[in-house]
Amino acid sequence: MAIEISNRLGLANVKSDYIHAAGRKLENIHEQLLELEAKGEVKVIHVKDENKPKEAETLFGWKKKIPTNKIWHHKSCGQCGNIPGYPVSFLWFMNQLGLEYIDERNQTSCTAWNYHGSGTSNPVGLAAVAVRNWHRAYELGLFPIFHCATTFGDYKEMRNLLVENKELRDEVGRIMRKIGRELVIPEYIVHYSEWVHVMRFEIAKLKKYDLSNIIVTVHPACHCYKMIPEDCIYDKDIYAGKRTAVSTGVMLALGAQVADYSTWYDCCGFGFRHILTEREASRSFVMDRKIRPMVREAHSDVCITQDTGCTTTLDKNQWIGKAMGYTEQVPVMADVMFAALACGADVFKIVQLQWHTTDWRPLCEKMGIDWKKSEEEYNAYLEELKAGGKTVNLYEYPKS
Amino acid sequence: MEYDENGVSIVSAELKKEIFEEARKDFRYEEYVRGCLNCGVCTGGCPPQRFFDFSPRIVLQKMKSKDPELIWTMMDEYIWACFQCFTCAMICPFLNNPGGVIAILREIAVRRGFESARKVLKPYSRVLLKLTAYGNQLSPDMIQPDFFPDWGPHIGYASTDLAAKRKAIPMPTLQVTNLAWDVAPETMKELYDIFDESGVFKIIEAVDPSLYEIIQDIVDDVRSS
Repeated sequence: MAIEISNRLGLANVKSDYIHAAGRKLENIHEQLLELEAKGEVKVIHVKDENKPKEAETLFGWKKKIPTNKIWHHKSCGQCGNIPGYPVSFLWFMNQLGLEYIDERNQTSCTAWNYHGSGTSNPVGLAAVAVRNWHRAYELGLFPIFHCATTFGDYKEMRNLLVENKELRDEVGRIMRKIGRELVIPEYIVHYSEWVHVMRFEIAKLKKYDLSNIIVTVHPACHCYKMIPEDCIYDKDIYAGKRTAVSTGVMLALGAQVADYSTWYDCCGFGFRHILTEREASRSFVMDRKIRPMVREAHSDVCITQDTGCTTTLDKNQWIGKAMGYTEQVPVMADVMFAALACGADVFKIVQLQWHTTDWRPLCEKMGIDWKKSEEEYNAYLEELKAGGKTVNLYEYPKS
Repeated sequence: MEYDENGVSIVSAELKKEIFEEARKDFRYEEYVRGCLNCGVCTGGCPPQRFFDFSPRIVLQKMKSKDPELIWTMMDEYIWACFQCFTCAMICPFLNNPGGVIAILREIAVRRGFESARKVLKPYSRVLLKLTAYGNQLSPDMIQPDFFPDWGPHIGYASTDLAAKRKAIPMPTLQVTNLAWDVAPETMKELYDIFDESGVFKIIEAVDPSLYEIIQDIVDDVRSS
């Protein structure tokens, strides 16, 4: 049964007959990558039929295959350390939809948060880390999906630099040989939000709650759509193809009301360095440029994100605003977490909202979710674990 | 180090020239610095421009001036204001990338161990240690009320029963408290080799020698395990 989209607010479901084109045409890096493969200069991780790919269009109308099955999860430092419900919600959906994946210990950070915050790396270091992690997915016969927007942005950039620069390829190839690996590059660099986007109608079929009175505002992540913008999904039926479609697409499919606000294009204020070492800048940015417009202009019930740093920055910096008379508050969570809530995932055990700072309970109540029952069950579960009980996991721990 | 009335460190003309040449020789430079109409679209959309004395248009104009004196004026505090969001790169009609230029200049500042870079990055050392020594960046036990008092009283949630709360996360890789996920030692060793071969460890030694020593102790322990 087709999902009918009905949005009363804003521009989210405005349609257009035009293929989005920004007036500038760049080299199609995908074609260049395949040429290098044909010359035997690199190996490519291809999207295969067993990956059950779904096709989407990017900024210039190019096709991008998004694998949905047999996935190697490339986790995010910030999500796993601070917002655990983010990856758990993603894996929960893969379980619900009967799709295969591996999450394992044999993976490093992309190191790009550190690079953009401190400058303590270089293109060789960043590209070698990227290829090292890509190769791990390659040797397992899986396709990598990247959970963090900064990983996504960095890996898109490293892919482009590797394709365009033989010297960089040679240097990274030398390092890979030293650690017993090979120079491999994925056919497409895929962010988890793209998986969510192409799976949005399957996700919507799992919906348990009516969201027609829930107003969401979407904060698109800079490193998704501003870094290598030509490799980001746009859809003629979402914002008429004039803004990136990810996150908004799944909100529309779930029947939530997506509202506009004037500063949708602004960053979150994370700044990579500023969130840790110049926090006044992040705090001011969050309240002045994001939360206030979302609440005052759009009366938002929830701010929907698609990145690690954005979720942290926008959630954690609202409390301190009260000291300066900023009374506006809005709960913050990733698209996949909100979707999981809407589809009946446990508030505490799966979506893990207990780690979030800004109050999310009024949102749950408006959605019709009994969070108090969930909290009681979770607290009892914690007591069981403290007494030596066993965790109920989403998957078997990999043997390798 | 001496500073002028604008807070810019005073160095020789030769060093300023070296810095510019180092930036211009970077293989990304030609890609990032193209023609500039001085239209200011980049600065109009720049998020930190709203809170700092910072403008990506000025970054581009100074680079295009090829004047080492002007470029040097950005090497202390100026380059550290950038949020690295790349709004400027996305909206520039000429496909310039001021954020990318900032990244090149920051690399030079830390590679050469500039005092201003050391000062700016001092509070960042805990993160740098975690990332380079263990392979991922933000661990649950770092989220403590004494470090993040401005994040409100709920931030103390992670301080009590952390081990049980992490054990309750239904992903086995996340059931640790001192790392974002439990990185395998063999994986860490590969990362150390990458940092050795790409010069990342040398950069850290230049910008924070004490931190480098601590990291190397951990690296030695893991490598010998």
